[in-house]
Amino acid sequence: MMKISRRNMMQMMGAAAFAGPLASATRAFAAREKELNILCWEGYNSAQVLDPFRSSQSAAVKAESLTNDPTMINRLRAGETRIWDLINVNNPWARKIMAPAGLIKPLPRAEFEPYFDTMLPGFKAPYRWAMSDDGKDLLGMAQRFGPYSFVVNTDEISKATAEEQGWDLFNDASLAGKYGIQESDDWNVFNIFLVAGINPFKEHTEEEFKAFAETAEKVFKGAKMVGDMASLNQALVSGEIDLYMTGGTYSVSPARADGYPKLRAITPLKGPIDGKGGISWIEITSTVNNPELSPLAVEFLKYVQDPQVAHTVAFAEGTFNPVSQMGNPKCFELFTKEELEAIQWDSLEEDMARSAEYDIVPDYDKALELMTAAKRLRG
Amino acid sequence: MAAVTYTATAGERSLLPAIPAGLRAAAPVTLLLVLGFLAPLLTVAAYAFATPKSFDVFRSFTLANFSAVFDPSNTVWMSFAWSLAYAAATVALLAVIAYPIAYGLNRMFGKWSGLVGVLFVFPLFVSENVRLYGWVLFFIKNGVLDGGLKWLGFSGGPEVLYTPGAILFGMLYVYLPFMLFPMSLGIAMIPRDLVDAARDLGASRLMIWREIELPLAMPGILIGMLLTFVLGAGAIAESKILGGQSVITIAQDIEVAFTYAQNWPLGSALALLLVAIVSGLALYVLSKLDLDRILGKR
Repeated sequence: MMKISRRNMMQMMGAAAFAGPLASATRAFAAREKELNILCWEGYNSAQVLDPFRSSQSAAVKAESLTNDPTMINRLRAGETRIWDLINVNNPWARKIMAPAGLIKPLPRAEFEPYFDTMLPGFKAPYRWAMSDDGKDLLGMAQRFGPYSFVVNTDEISKATAEEQGWDLFNDASLAGKYGIQESDDWNVFNIFLVAGINPFKEHTEEEFKAFAETAEKVFKGAKMVGDMASLNQALVSGEIDLYMTGGTYSVSPARADGYPKLRAITPLKGPIDGKGGISWIEITSTVNNPELSPLAVEFLKYVQDPQVAHTVAFAEGTFNPVSQMGNPKCFELFTKEELEAIQWDSLEEDMARSAEYDIVPDYDKALELMTAAKRLRG
Repeated sequence: MAAVTYTATAGERSLLPAIPAGLRAAAPVTLLLVLGFLAPLLTVAAYAFATPKSFDVFRSFTLANFSAVFDPSNTVWMSFAWSLAYAAATVALLAVIAYPIAYGLNRMFGKWSGLVGVLFVFPLFVSENVRLYGWVLFFIKNGVLDGGLKWLGFSGGPEVLYTPGAILFGMLYVYLPFMLFPMSLGIAMIPRDLVDAARDLGASRLMIWREIELPLAMPGILIGMLLTFVLGAGAIAESKILGGQSVITIAQDIEVAFTYAQNWPLGSALALLLVAIVSGLALYVLSKLDLDRILGKR
């Protein structure tokens, strides 16, 4: 029989201290029934959305929010597919980048396609951005969306003028020093192309890049400020600026809900993307190609389809957005008049119709380099 | 069983002189520091030599990231120049601003010096971003300053927000404690007897300051300057929040490389260069100063 002395008791405790975390780590890899990790835009990480799911599933749900797509895609590329179960990014990434790169897994079509039937008309199955390129696989679920071009203070520039002038407002020398730019560089690349009258979502010629660089320099030089959306809304309210790009219901809805309906997301009437001047985004949430994917991932995707939860997602902390589930009357009736005003429901359909859907810029790297160089000339 | 244990212990004892007990006791901490402190730095350094726009760290070796940075058409040097210039200006101005306060804390404020010290420490308990957003509300059009002046019948406040000057103001505000407290410690090291003796021997106030106080306080002043410079060179929040990105700092270029550009190797190369420049400058300045003399070990 083994005699336990004080000395080997200490040894055993030491060994346990080392082995303890390792043992729980192995457990984490072996069975992930009760944990779920979500990489998302803000909103899905809010307690309002997650807590009911946590308690109903008795699960440990961790969500990390980031505010740009490239960083999230990068995290998966860097090897974090082992960590995350769900990724929530804008529309083109699942179909054009993540699925071909093997970063995400398809969803069971029979189980999830019926949800699209109750969504708003534009989302009926097979919904293009939720499908793989060959149209065979369902790559994710759609929920939040919105037009995203620029925001004006309608006391200074009327909605009609802003829509009619469109991106030319940023070419107008009289508005220099009166506009701001949001620090989302990927969207700014789209916008600079649009201000230059060029379709961003195609391969560009040397001449087009020259026009892009000149426009970037002019637009950034003329900007009063470059900042986050809270600072930009603040600057609009205080009168520091009259308009800002990039912006839309996503960025301006919190200010509208706070009692500033004069601030409004604008979608230009026309533009260079096959006649369209606005850009819209649609989030697609996909299951990550995790070797130990949590079974809760698909459960969570079903959970957020519920009308009540979908409404919570639309008005989670941070920003307020329309959701595709508003096509279901049971979901739509949960939105109050004030909430519909905050997300500009009155013009949402026409704004979306005038917007091209967010897409990949084939020569984004070069454009970003030119734009970064243009930004340095501000000082 | 007991005999075996005893033999093993005896064996261990014979090895003891080879590794001092202190080192063995420090091993867990050393391991933790190597893993938690050195490993991330080494990974960043390794990324700097990886294929651009890839994650082939430790699997590829190229100088492409550095040649991209040094390409004559690349204007990233402007960001380096702005960051270093802002850091240098912050150090120079803070040295002048903090010295009288540090002197006061030690020699003049008397029983109030504790309270004054706490007032300077207190902001450190609030996040830097929150404090900077507070200044935005102060300076913004119709904000505290502008609105207050208008209410008093003036035409309004000056337009300072979103300008390069606002960035410098933010840096002076944020880094003041980092200059003040080492400087205050430095001044505390000056023996009163020496000052009194110099005065008795007929030295003027300026002479006492130049020949006695300044050299003896120099270790603290230098540490404050070094700390402020290193922090200032990596500053980003001031230019983003108060400056409205009217100037692009190098830290922001590094951030863009890691995020929107999806180019970790380029970001790492920029970070490594910043570390090299800042530590190189710091070491150069330190080597020019006679530390032994300054530290009073002549």
